[in-house]
Amino acid sequence: MSVLARSVGNAFRNKVRTGAVVAVLAVAIGLALSMLVANQAVAAKVTELNASVGTVLTVNPAGGQGFEGGGEPLTAEQAATAAAVPNVTGVVGTKALRLRNATEAAAQSAAGTQGAGTQAAGPGGGQGGPGGQTTTTLTTSLTAAVDAGTLGNRNQAGEGTTGSTGTTQPARTMSLPITATGTGAEVDSTGRALEITEGSGLGDYTAESTNALLGTTLAEKNGLKVGSTFTINDQTYTVAGLFDAGTSFGNNALYVTLPSAQTLAELPGELSTMIVTVNSMENVDAAKTALQDALGTGKADVTQGQRNLETAVSSLGSVKNISFIAFVAALGTAGLIILLIMVMLVRERRREIGVLKAIGAPNRTIGLQFVLEALVLVALGSVVGAAVASFASGGIASALISSNSTTAAATTTGRGMPGGAAGFPGGGAGLPSGGPFGGASQLLTTVTASASPGVIAAGIAAVFGVAIIGALVPALLTARIRPIEVLRGE
Amino acid sequence: MIEVKNLVRTFKSGDRTIKPVNDVSFELEQGTLASIVGKSGSGKSTLLSLLGALDKPTSGDVVVNGVSLASMPDGKLTEYRRRDIGFVFQQFNLIPNLSAVDNVMLPMEFAGVRKAARLARAKDLLEQVQLDPEKHVRRINRLSGGEQQRVAIARALANEPKLILADEPTGNLDEQTGDHIIELLSSLSRDHNTTILVVTHDRALANKTDRRFRLQQGRLSEEPARTRVGAAAPA
Ligand SMILES: Nc1ncnc2c1ncn2[C@@H]1O[C@H](COP(=O)(O)OP(=O)(O)OP(=O)(O)O)[C@@H](O)[C@H]1O
Ligand SMILES: [Mg+2]
Repeated sequence: MSVLARSVGNAFRNKVRTGAVVAVLAVAIGLALSMLVANQAVAAKVTELNASVGTVLTVNPAGGQGFEGGGEPLTAEQAATAAAVPNVTGVVGTKALRLRNATEAAAQSAAGTQGAGTQAAGPGGGQGGPGGQTTTTLTTSLTAAVDAGTLGNRNQAGEGTTGSTGTTQPARTMSLPITATGTGAEVDSTGRALEITEGSGLGDYTAESTNALLGTTLAEKNGLKVGSTFTINDQTYTVAGLFDAGTSFGNNALYVTLPSAQTLAELPGELSTMIVTVNSMENVDAAKTALQDALGTGKADVTQGQRNLETAVSSLGSVKNISFIAFVAALGTAGLIILLIMVMLVRERRREIGVLKAIGAPNRTIGLQFVLEALVLVALGSVVGAAVASFASGGIASALISSNSTTAAATTTGRGMPGGAAGFPGGGAGLPSGGPFGGASQLLTTVTASASPGVIAAGIAAVFGVAIIGALVPALLTARIRPIEVLRGE
Repeated sequence: MIEVKNLVRTFKSGDRTIKPVNDVSFELEQGTLASIVGKSGSGKSTLLSLLGALDKPTSGDVVVNGVSLASMPDGKLTEYRRRDIGFVFQQFNLIPNLSAVDNVMLPMEFAGVRKAARLARAKDLLEQVQLDPEKHVRRINRLSGGEQQRVAIARALANEPKLILADEPTGNLDEQTGDHIIELLSSLSRDHNTTILVVTHDRALANKTDRRFRLQQGRLSEEPARTRVGAAAPA
């Protein structure tokens, strides 16, 4: 019979009470673990969101967000000015091009519905660039991978307006234009690194090159592989790599280097947008103001693409805090339960403790015996609690998030996005990107609260830590019991 | 060798103070078998608890082999109880949810005896106090009063203490078993030089001891010595 064996035996001395204690502990521990799992899942999501889009500002030419477009285009000097703004860590210029399938364009032109070479419409890719901005339209050998849809057809028909009813144009099926973006770095329009699935990047994005990156669906649609060639305005380009933007619209696009795009558009030095990265989330607001001042309100519009995301992030942040507080509270409750139970047991076994002392048991042996007994109860509670948590944590996390994100989601839809859907020629299937404008609510629901063994183990370690503290108090109380207690009646 | 010097223990009950142990002094040579008789409430258990370091005297001292208990820190007193004392409690004070063998093994566990050795010794001791072998592993609360008393005696002998303090060790036993226990204690003092102090109401038992004390309202007096039963007849 060892101390441990005695502790285990004592833990089961009163089976009904042990059962009740274990059940109550299991609830507290289960709740604590669920909250920890939810907290970890949300924390991971917040980090992910912050890392991906939290610190990006988009600069468009002033007035470029309306239907008509106007103002001055952005220039390389402005990019230099932007780079000099405090807290700005990077400026990537992009030049958007609109590619039409050469055969279709010819047919449409023949029908006389095609307007001038330029059109009041924005690029249909990435972050939802400026609607109404002047965009150069070029011809290509590529065929778009996405059907235009109703809105797209209406837009392609030359009306250039969305939301107007009573259009009398006959419905005509045609494919969407393809977005070609000249970019100064290997990032998409949200500033996020391009996910290259095959081949390689374009190397130096600030030099002319006849290499291009194609979206996976676009390449597939046109039967192109890494190394294949296609043309833009009769210039032959080679597919250097394929990227995956995660959405079919995002993948109906291609990237070339910035100078190549500027040359194609015959507008050297001109930028459609600048993607400005700020060093941290906290500095975004200040940097936005500074940037706007530096560039001049009449010359450029600085928009904060992740505004709505920020709401989402802060909403997630509060879920994170709530779940952490609940974790600590549940942990504290478990500790308190242990403390109270052990105090009760020590009082109840006063005489027995006196006996142990009378026959020469050192205080530490008796204290250890009680701590171990508490740990046996906690171990049982943890097993049941972990089982509860593994079933309940998903539900608890999503319940927490949905109750907390209602306001965030509402704000998101209410706020809309810069430029509005009107600017998109291919509005048929809604938003082009599931990224920053995919809606905060959508992001929130993608928080997966799976009970990972590591988190559960860490939680149980915390539970044991708290239990040891909780049991130590009554264990120390045993040291004050004097052996003469044995001579007292029960 | 145990020296008791002017030992006093008082209790306050309400506004009265009672003195169950009132200026008690005596000496016992190592290996002596001694008895204390006295009326109920005369302070016998209180005196025994002071000798066994379960309680602290109001004044006076107990000196064991030259070491004063009054000057010992609590940790040393625990060690003294563990190594040097075997205490048979009037109410047995066994751990109810442990078996007889486990109870007897407890003091040896605290003394750091290896498991196999303590199990063997516990079984041997339970045989010596004549507990049926099938009851060795039975839980204490399923043993009779007399059986529990014998387990308590076996536990007191576990660490081969120099001093055994037994509070009514035969109170719950039939005459035959009681005689056997007396014989067992007697042989320990004779053959192992163990000092034994027995509190008893049993006159016959008291008559078999080397020295007989009487406690009356906290005061100790000694009765004249007699020839010890079982010792060689006087010439
Ligand atoms: N902790 C205490 N507080 C107050 N009074 C006490 C305490 N312990 C013992 N007494 C009193 O001291 C007196 C002596 O008690 P003790 O237990 O020593 O008697 P005893 O001689 O062993 O009697 P018995 O033969 O019935 O066992 C009794 O009157 C008892 O009520
Ligand atoms: Mg008594």
